[in-house]
Amino acid sequence: MGNANSVLTESETRHLMRRAGFGATPKELAKLVKRGLTRGQLVDGLLKYKPKPLKVSKKDEMDEVYDRWLESMLTTKTPLLEKLTLFWHDHFATANASVQNSEQMAHQNSLLRLMSKGNFRELLKRINKDPAMMDFLDTVRNRRKTPNENYARELMELFTLGVEDETGAANYAQEDIVQIARSFTGWRLDDKDVAVFRGNSHDFNVDFPERGPKVIFKTHGGFGPAGIDLAIYGEGAIEIDYVIDVMLAHHDTQGQSTVGRRITRRMFEFFASADPSTALVDQLLAASGFAVSWDIAAVVKTILVHDAFYATAAPPPYEAGTKKSVKWPIDYVVSTLRLLGIKPKRRKYSGLAIADSDSLRSHLDDMGQQLFDPPSVFGWDWEGAWISSATLLARFRFARDLAAARVKGTQGFHPEKLMSLTLQAPDAILNAASNVLGLADQLSATDRTFLIDYLTDGGALPALDLNNVDVRNRKLHGLFALLLQSPAYQLH
Amino acid sequence: MAISRRSFLKGSGLAAASSLVAPAPLGNPFVRQAFADTIGDRYFLMIYLGGGNDGCNTVIPVDNGGATMRAAYDAARSTGAGGINISPAALTNTSIGTDPATGCQLALHPALLGMKQLYDLGKVAVVQGCGYSRASLSHEESRISWETGAPPNMGSGTGWVGRYLAANYGGSEIPGVCLRSEVAGEMRQNATSVLAARRLRSLRFPYDQDFDDDATLKRAAFLGLYGGATAASLPIAEYLGTSGTATLLATESYSGLHDLYVQGRATYNQAYDDLDLGLGRNLREAAKVIYGIAMGVPNVHARVMEVSTGGYDTHSDQGGAQTDGRHFELLSELGNSLKLFYDDCADMGVADKLCVMVWSEFGRRVIQNDGGTDHGTQYPVFVVGGGVQGGVYGRHPNINPSALSDDGNTVYSQDPSDPFRSTDMRDVYGTILKHWLGMPQSSILGNVLALDSGDPTVRWTTENFDMGFLV
Repeated sequence: MGNANSVLTESETRHLMRRAGFGATPKELAKLVKRGLTRGQLVDGLLKYKPKPLKVSKKDEMDEVYDRWLESMLTTKTPLLEKLTLFWHDHFATANASVQNSEQMAHQNSLLRLMSKGNFRELLKRINKDPAMMDFLDTVRNRRKTPNENYARELMELFTLGVEDETGAANYAQEDIVQIARSFTGWRLDDKDVAVFRGNSHDFNVDFPERGPKVIFKTHGGFGPAGIDLAIYGEGAIEIDYVIDVMLAHHDTQGQSTVGRRITRRMFEFFASADPSTALVDQLLAASGFAVSWDIAAVVKTILVHDAFYATAAPPPYEAGTKKSVKWPIDYVVSTLRLLGIKPKRRKYSGLAIADSDSLRSHLDDMGQQLFDPPSVFGWDWEGAWISSATLLARFRFARDLAAARVKGTQGFHPEKLMSLTLQAPDAILNAASNVLGLADQLSATDRTFLIDYLTDGGALPALDLNNVDVRNRKLHGLFALLLQSPAYQLH
Repeated sequence: MAISRRSFLKGSGLAAASSLVAPAPLGNPFVRQAFADTIGDRYFLMIYLGGGNDGCNTVIPVDNGGATMRAAYDAARSTGAGGINISPAALTNTSIGTDPATGCQLALHPALLGMKQLYDLGKVAVVQGCGYSRASLSHEESRISWETGAPPNMGSGTGWVGRYLAANYGGSEIPGVCLRSEVAGEMRQNATSVLAARRLRSLRFPYDQDFDDDATLKRAAFLGLYGGATAASLPIAEYLGTSGTATLLATESYSGLHDLYVQGRATYNQAYDDLDLGLGRNLREAAKVIYGIAMGVPNVHARVMEVSTGGYDTHSDQGGAQTDGRHFELLSELGNSLKLFYDDCADMGVADKLCVMVWSEFGRRVIQNDGGTDHGTQYPVFVVGGGVQGGVYGRHPNINPSALSDDGNTVYSQDPSDPFRSTDMRDVYGTILKHWLGMPQSSILGNVLALDSGDPTVRWTTENFDMGFLV
């Protein structure tokens, strides 16, 4: 049993950097291992970042904002900031396909960055008034008499409680959605895109806000048969802040914090693997104190120092019960480019791309993940849903394009800069190449046999001269393509 | 159960299959296909309308019948600016049958002219009032219920079509194709491979073109790596292994279908271009598969396909009968695309072998909200194809204000004495499985669809897999 004070092994360090960041190059890894850090020390280091907004220019169209986020991920020294921003982008999924406003989308991204490891209560209160969200889920179209239920439903179903608790019992009733929708009437964006409760406007009393009590949770949440009146502290602006406080006070049928459990579960699934047991979720929740402090950093740290997180680093052959996770497309693209030292450039028409290849955005779209345009308010489906023949082919194409990028400069793939070309034994070449990709301990014995068969033309070439350009271009580039296409590299 | 194609091939030897490779003259190329699996030489295609289609404005009461249907409709949906009410005058060209329960005259949304043409040919079954018990108003939850064929949280995670495929096909076969970038929930299962490809043309394995002569070795290594993953004791690796293997094999068998179709079906290929609709282009991909099978392309055997489209979540700007309304544009795309696809199949001589089911995750609220409608419950499903017995099936949901639930939705009922009794989605599925896909009733109940337990007036406790739209 390990804990925050356990000294990280090389394999654990690699795994932590892979999951809390975009992987470590062999050089970076060696540096970290040499320091003999404990789990807690390295996680504290990763969490020490100073959140900064996304750097954009006023003129940026959506594609440019997207490229700026990609550039930030490709070059960042604080990768956990990016990973947490991705998590929140999926959690508070907002699609520009509907919002159609790059400035608002960039603004939301900056909010997620600034709050990425902050206080979850505060984050929710700010999401309530986030312009892109207000447009996406119709808060700006919510009016008296016909309250629009869109935001109210998703606030409970997706952002906080979830449809049901750990036992499968419902967390709320349809009536609760209606009452919360009434609380959100009266909110609009002013001409500077700031959320305002239209207290002074001409049509305020006629059209916008719902007056009177709005009682929710008479049957759910552990508030008793009287429920909670959202307007108890006054009507108007104060109500939508109070909605959040009520959500966070909701308890499930087992008397546990509903939101605490759900966010902890979701975070564990993001950083480690799917379907943690209720016992594990409760253990993480208790250890982090998240349901009291709502401190996001605390729950992140609790997960990243826990044995259950490091269990997902297990090498093949897998023991029964081993869990792995499918890399998100964005993870696949960003970590591969970082590990291979390839630096995409912005091109006039396509945007950020590497030589002779489609834009990174286009590759990602084919893999099933277009940032700023999640498929719906549910965000992306994870794990097995990333895998289909179409999305796998997109990964394989990207891998091929990188391995075949035989151009000069940082847009090209130059294995000679990543490993020694004096290696001749196929076994040693495979070790070096898989080490570059952080796969050194993730290939099975049969994987190795097939890859060595490839390298040696089925045993015909007992040694390879990598200094020979043709051999290198053919076999070493080919080996990297296969490694990037391998099942092992799709998992982490 | 009828012999599966897999066991048929085992029994008769692969030679029987490869003898089909020779191109057949068009006309009726399918007669020669001797496959004895449950689906035989038929096709089943699903079209998913993402977002929740407004059933009340898809099949519309024109008059009151023996009840107050039109009056209830007029009370719920307003005319004038922002109104979504469609007047009887606007429905004269799309009139269909009458509602079996109330006798009111029904009409399709005026945008559904293409569907109406197929209806007049007797090829469209309008199955009214489809839903399930304990209906969810969440897009995801309700979509999953329809995909898995089970009320919320009662499903196994596999799709209802997936369980049919798993019961009839093996791991290396590709009996299903989703013409989108991910496997559709209805098809999900881990027993056999389902191909997902938005465009068949780009389905090609990406080898390094500078070293073509190295591709054979790469292919061997790739199949070795993915074959190894198939054997892993880690479910996600196993799934990855099966998917990767099937993907490589599919690129080899399906990649030629695009060119084959473009050359062999130039007139129809052009007609889809001229139609210029997203759903039409997606359906053209399905037509390419069907044509490839007709031409005997080896290793192309998909009989079950899925096509999807979106935009149906019409909370606002839904529109009524005017042609620039959101719902009008969506339904016009549906009707016209489907009509062209049907004509294409008829021209290939396979219209009688085609069954298309059009579904959505839910209907929409009866009462209009602002310029649109919120999430609802029951809605009409379309079943279209040459083998379909056209007409109106099932009953229109009760849209009288007094009959609506507290949240303003039509109520699910299985009470035999209720004139507005709902059609359970599983009776639609079961009818297709039994009468089109050739699965015996006991096998359907044993492998694919599980009866609900509980109050028989509000739960699906007795199946009816003989709805009559397929015989």
